[in-house]
Parts: sequence; structure tokens; C-alpha cells
Amino acid sequence: MRRGLVAFAVLLAAAAGVGSRVGSAPQEPVEQIVIGGVTPRFAVPECVARTTDDRTQQACRSITQVLRNDLRFARLFQFVPDSLLTAVPPLNPDAPVFEDWRGIGARILVVTRAGIVSDELTVEVRVYFVDSGQTMLARRYSGKPDNPRVFAHQASDDIMTLTQYKGVARTRIAFASDRDSTRERRSKEIYIVDYDGFNPRRVTVNGSLNILPAWSPDGMSLAYVSYRRVTPLIFLARIFEGKSIPNLTGERDNSQAFAPTFSPDGKRIAYASNRSGNMDVWVAGTDGSAPQRLTTTRAADTAPCWSPTGQEIAFTSSRTGTPQLYIMGADGLNVRRLTTVGNYNDGCAWSPARQFSEIAYTSRLEAGGFDIAIIDLATKQVRQITQGRGSCEYPSWAPNGRHLVFSCERRGTWAITVSDREGRSITRLAAGPGNNVQPDWGP
Amino acid sequence: MSLVRQRHLVSLLVLALAFSLACGGKKRPPALASPEGLTPSAPASADTMPAQPLDEGPDVMAVEGEYATGSDLLSDYTTTYEEGSPLADIHFEYDVASLTEQTRATLERHAVWLQTRRDLRVTIEGHCDQRGTVEYNLALGEQRARAAWDYLVSLGVAADRLRTVSYGKERPLESSATEQAYSVNRRAHFSVSE
Repeated sequence: MRRGLVAFAVLLAAAAGVGSRVGSAPQEPVEQIVIGGVTPRFAVPECVARTTDDRTQQACRSITQVLRNDLRFARLFQFVPDSLLTAVPPLNPDAPVFEDWRGIGARILVVTRAGIVSDELTVEVRVYFVDSGQTMLARRYSGKPDNPRVFAHQASDDIMTLTQYKGVARTRIAFASDRDSTRERRSKEIYIVDYDGFNPRRVTVNGSLNILPAWSPDGMSLAYVSYRRVTPLIFLARIFEGKSIPNLTGERDNSQAFAPTFSPDGKRIAYASNRSGNMDVWVAGTDGSAPQRLTTTRAADTAPCWSPTGQEIAFTSSRTGTPQLYIMGADGLNVRRLTTVGNYNDGCAWSPARQFSEIAYTSRLEAGGFDIAIIDLATKQVRQITQGRGSCEYPSWAPNGRHLVFSCERRGTWAITVSDREGRSITRLAAGPGNNVQPDWGP
Repeated sequence: MSLVRQRHLVSLLVLALAFSLACGGKKRPPALASPEGLTPSAPASADTMPAQPLDEGPDVMAVEGEYATGSDLLSDYTTTYEEGSPLADIHFEYDVASLTEQTRATLERHAVWLQTRRDLRVTIEGHCDQRGTVEYNLALGEQRARAAWDYLVSLGVAADRLRTVSYGKERPLESSATEQAYSVNRRAHFSVSE
């Protein structure tokens, strides 16, 4: 907590124009930003509409709601209760009366104003430090008024630059769903939603089984496994072009490929293939070039995930008779076992945040159900993230390592579910109908 | 499953696919060119603030032109044998991919039949019950299909007539969470085509 204090003090200095740089990532997680032993409380009053027309009012309401949700989601800030916000006299966005806001306990004031002029929405966002009246951040965005949520997401991510964490409000989650399946043709297709479950879009349209989507680090492509040529092969979809590259890894002679995952630099792809006659972890160039086999045991080695440096790969192996997680160099050398607790551990996801050296995975409990667990790579301590939510599996990290997405089954339906890295605020995402599985949190 | 019924499905599905449309979806900003970090001393009037164009970027486009048709159709729906394939499913114990006396005997009958129908090819599908993780079950299904493949080849069936596909837990025959459903779902299925 003390470290958080320092980090924030540095930020304030920068805001005051002292010229200090934002502190580097701390050694340990900071869950709340604290100033002088007090958590700064945010006040996010209603967005002020520049005009009284319905469209602007509606855009303003949407911006207020989405911005509040985005900032709350970060779990870094405290908020003045909405009931107190209404007690403050109407806000003058150009000259807030800071005394009013201090009176209800606000330390940070986020002022938003929106207007639509000739089919262009302009949104202004100002963040004030209430005690001094100083502006910490000021932004003005303009664009098409069709989707005001985007403006709020952008504002939230800009406000998050005041912390040492990158915001995720503009990120998206890919997943597989049977929502467009029929009784006769039980297909799964790949879909994308915003991180908050809004704005679902479909990526594949082939009526076959399409599973295990994986984002490229630049957010322009999804690798996934498709059965549209009967044999499961890795396809690469360029999601902004509507194009796909089939059989990326060049499987032939009856071999199958599963579980693609991009290296953090986007240059390589790790996956599982039975090309050698046995399921092994392979690595190839993102264009499928120079496939190289990394594991050689007779057991099944599958489900690779990359370390944030790209120098190591964790994976699942059944070489001891039960599936366990292992770590090896990205060259396949120096293999060592990671998980020792439990007799069924699978589906690794290595935290992309270097300050959290940890791997999330799926673990079977004694009762027979599956839950999400996280192992600390330094201490090897395991913490259970889900509990009593039915069966949960397939974790994937938010790009800043502060949240996880996975899929949980309850009453026979699988839903995309989000949690923070402590297992708090576990929420089912309203990502649309059907069984929604195998989420991958994108950039 | 009735193969005759499946044949009807093929035509239905092709039709359904032809009508299924890509849903375009909302736009999304790939990355915004925004000034990094803080704006220490913001202008007093919002009107003098520099505006960032909030370009939502290109549309996410569904991958089209890759409808599964004809020979691309899933083996589940390729039906070629009038009287129904005599190649019955073989079943496995929980979390096991090895063959038993009983499943070997079934495969021996399959091999004999396949020698009488050298015009046919077989896709061996490995399936699992719904307990367990996605990735583990894909590996287990692969092992089940391969166990059947190995034994059929050892009995003299030409390897190039057989291919293996793991479905993991993605295609259960029965979706209920009962022991009976689990045991039906743990199977190798033999999909026959010309």
C-alpha cells in the first residue's frame, strides 16, 4: 500500500507540472491507490449535454453509465455514492465549484460533456484533483455518434494512464459458441465481444466446429481450430479483412493441430499437433514456416502458453499418468514440472503482467468439478479463484494481468465469466445466447 | 443414428448455410493515436482543447467464402452406405484410450467388412464424455481414435483408407450429466465415405 502512495504522489507531481516521470511498475501488486492513508474517492457526475436534443441526451447517459462501469471494473478506485452526487448543485463543466465536491468527500472529479453537431459527437473529459482544483487530465474526442460506448471506453483507458496499469476498456474477448448451431448440425462458431459483454460480432460462418480462438498480439487476427475440412486444423482469420488462411501449420497425412497461441512478439505460434504420431507441443512461424517439435515424450503434451518474455512455454503433459503443468524453454529444453497439487491440471494461461509472476489454469477438485486456480511462480503457492460456481475452465488473462476470463457451466449452460486476479467480483458476461466457451482476452 | 436421416440433413444444411449471413457488427478502434501520458496544464476552455479523432477503425468482418460444402462437410453428415454402416461404435472406460477384448473383437469384424468394401474410406472419430477439460479431452480423443486406427492397420486395412479425428468433448451423443450418457459418449465412431 505504501508503494501505491509513492506512485500516486509521483503522478500528482507530474500533473502539477513538476516534470517527474510516472513510476515504473511496482514489485508487488497495488490493489488500491492511496494518498496519505486515504483512498481518493472519485466522483463521476452525470455527463453534461451541450444541447437538449434526445440524441445528445441519450449519448450522454450512455457515456456516464459506461464510464462508471469501466472505472469500477478496474477495482482501483473508491467512488462517492450516486445518492450523494445528486446533492451537489448543478455542475458547471468549465468551472466546477470544488468546495461542493469536497463537501461530499470527493477527491477526484471526472467531468464529461458531450455534444452532437452535424453528425459528429464530441466528448470532453476532465479529471480534477478536488483539493487543489488542478486538472490531472483533459481530453476531447470526436467521431461518429453511432456508438457512444466507445468514447467512454477511450476516456476510461485514458484515465487509467494515471495509474500504473493499462486500462482494458477497449479490449475484446473472443470465444466459441453454439448459438447458431442447429439440432442436426451441432456447429460452433467464433465470436467477439467487447470486454464488458456488449457488441457481439461473429467471425466464422462455416457451419462446422470452430473452437479454441487465440488473438494475435496486434489484435488484427484470430487463430482458431476448425473442422471444416473434417480434420481439425489451425486457421488464421484476419478479422478486419474477412479472410482466412487454412491449415496454417501445414498439417498433412492425417495429422491434426490444436490449441494455437501467439508468442508475445507475434512472430511465432505454439500449438499441439500429432504430426509425429503422438500429441506434442510444436512451434512455427506465424506464417506456418519452420514447424519445430518441442516435446518428445510418448505421453500427450498439449495446451501450450507463452511466458510474457516469450522465452518460455508452459504446457500440459500426462507423462506421469495424470495431466500436470510443465514449463520449458521456448526451444524445448530445460523441462520442469510446475504443478504438484491435485491430479488433474490443464489449460495454462501465463499472466502477461511481469509484476505478477503467475499462471492461471484449470484444476480438478476432489468433488470432481473443475475450478480456476492460480499458481505463484516464485512461491509455488496455489490460490483457488472460483468456488461453488459449477465447473469452470479455460482461463485467459486481461492484457494488464489484473483480470481473468474463463467459462463456467451452471445448470447445463456455459457462460463467459470474468474475475479479478484475487477471485473477487466474479461476473457472468452477458455475451449472448448459447453455450459460450473457450474465451481468449484480446489486446 | 440413422444414416438415411443424415443424408436429408446434408441438403438441408447446405441450404441453411447458403442463407446464413455474416453479421457485420459494430466498429471498433484498433488503436487510437493519442498523446501519451498526462496533460499537465490543460487549457481553461474546452474549445481550445485539441480534439482527438475517435476513429472507430475498420469493421470486423466475418470470414466468408469458406462455407463447408460438399467434401468439406463434416463426416457426421457424409452418408454413403444405404443399409447403414455396420461399423458400430466402440466404447472406452473413463479416462482410458486402450482397447479391451471386446473392442478388439468389434474392430476385427470391422476389418473383415472393410476388406469386402475396398471402395470405402473411414474417418475414425475419437470422442470423450463431458467431464474434463477441453484440451485434455482433445488429446484423449486423439488417442482413442489412434488406438482404433493402429489396430485396424495391424489387421491389414490399408492405412490410406483411414484417417483419425479427435472431437474431444465437443460432440457428445447425449448431453445429460449421467453415467449412462458419459459411457455412450466415450467412443470411437466410424464414419464411412466413398
